[in-house]
Amino acid sequence: MTVDILSSIKGAQSSESVNKLFDVIRNASSNNNAANTVNYNCVSVNDLREDVVVESSAIEKQIILENFPNKKNGFLVVAKVIEG
Amino acid sequence: MESQIKKIHQQLVSKQITCTALVQEKLDLLKQNTYNSVNSILDTLALELAAKVDAKIANGETIGLLEGIPFGIKDVYMLQGTYTTASSDLLKNYKSAYTATAIQKLLDAGAIPLVKENCDSFGHGSSSENTIFGAVKNAVNPELVAGGSSGGSAVNVAKDYTVFSIGGDTGGSIRQPAGYNHIYGFKPTYGRVSRYGLMAYASSTDCVGPLAKSIEDIRIVLNVMSGKDPKDQTSIASTEISEEAVAISSIKTVGYFKNFVESEAIDTQIKSDFLASIEKIKAKGIEVKELDFFKSDILVSTYYTLAMAETASNLSRLDGTNYGNRIEGENLIDTYAVTRSENFSEETKRRIVGGNQVLSQGFSEGIYLKGLALRDQISQNFSKDFEEVDIVLSPVTPSTPPKIGESLKDPLAMYLSDAYTVGFSLGQLPTLTVPQGTSTGLQITAAKNNDELVLQFANFLKDTI
Repeated sequence: MTVDILSSIKGAQSSESVNKLFDVIRNASSNNNAANTVNYNCVSVNDLREDVVVESSAIEKQIILENFPNKKNGFLVVAKVIEG
Repeated sequence: MESQIKKIHQQLVSKQITCTALVQEKLDLLKQNTYNSVNSILDTLALELAAKVDAKIANGETIGLLEGIPFGIKDVYMLQGTYTTASSDLLKNYKSAYTATAIQKLLDAGAIPLVKENCDSFGHGSSSENTIFGAVKNAVNPELVAGGSSGGSAVNVAKDYTVFSIGGDTGGSIRQPAGYNHIYGFKPTYGRVSRYGLMAYASSTDCVGPLAKSIEDIRIVLNVMSGKDPKDQTSIASTEISEEAVAISSIKTVGYFKNFVESEAIDTQIKSDFLASIEKIKAKGIEVKELDFFKSDILVSTYYTLAMAETASNLSRLDGTNYGNRIEGENLIDTYAVTRSENFSEETKRRIVGGNQVLSQGFSEGIYLKGLALRDQISQNFSKDFEEVDIVLSPVTPSTPPKIGESLKDPLAMYLSDAYTVGFSLGQLPTLTVPQGTSTGLQITAAKNNDELVLQFANFLKDTI
């Protein structure tokens, strides 16, 4: 898949400046022994928050509706779906 | 400089000033300002809160240290009912439905939010020019950039429009603008402050932190915001840093990265000022060690590879379906593409595309996974260094702030200007910019969770250089 499709950005192309950064990584020597040993931020299963449903407040619900991009006759209008 | 928070607290308690007058004065300054540091002003909310503080004082009730203290918020934090635009076209009319944990803690302590502050769109930039609200001007010289991405926050503090501001630091976005505007800016250890309600840029390095004019104000605000939060599972428990704990320095050994100062890219004045600061520290009997570190281009490339991958993923939710400036296309997929193409800035698109490039088949192994491995090596390097030294000292930037307009012409130069800040982000280390030592300040870094030591050394430096 091309980057414009992957990024959902029309006509998107890779940037020369960014590619120069990636070339540095490609050519860098790396010590594979270090892979994923230091920077893991995993969460212990004993430390997970309670799996409970928290009801949104009335003001929160109202703002979520206010943020919705398109409304008609009291309905929230979504984008046209793909046909066929 | 002395603590502005304590000074104002004293003035409020002794009824030298009213909170309403204080807030009104700051709101007027923000409204009149010509630095483009403001995205929206929260005048109604701020004046309501100020009136409550005044009523409490009039009733003889005691008030907390942060009660009535006016502050600013980078426009990437949720504060219920306020516009949170991330300085972008896509979210220019978006209202926060809820409040970020760090901001809520400040509100609970009685601090008064005045302003949502201009910044690079979604944190994508090092100059605060990548914004729909106009380039933020440097507080010291308005022809120069404010730095970024928390440029508006740094300028508001530097100009005394806010007493402190809350910025966000992913690769240097608090520390670099703090350096450019001659104030303090702190990136705490990753996870010390909850990220809940901060619009995600690169989740594995995003940090919430304060900008202020004194170390004491940084300490006060940091203590209030810190703590484990069930809403951010990467947040960590931490202990409060007391005033006494940072008053006397226990630091015996300081290190600096040799290749940072030997780099061809460093400005000659910044280099000589940095080395002069090192000499002053040595003269105080502190042992100084030269340390080996990764080359700057490796640090910058590793950071941008991972940050772009993470931002491509995080920003994929912005498609105009439930919120944002939707532009209708021929069908659903077209609607996503048109909305994103028209509403994202060039820099944001560049980063999203770069991120998707490194995450795609054929590239991920040679670039993204290698970037992760390099990050681990960088972290191991830090762990080794902090067995030898208590503190690492470095310049904040290789050069002085560029003129407005220059950075946008050369993205690669902008990325490389982050050479001295991104490494500490990858290591998730606590790092403070102090407005001393070089024209863009110095960075003080300690091992993970040693935030206290950073503030301690900053107090020591205040009287040393």
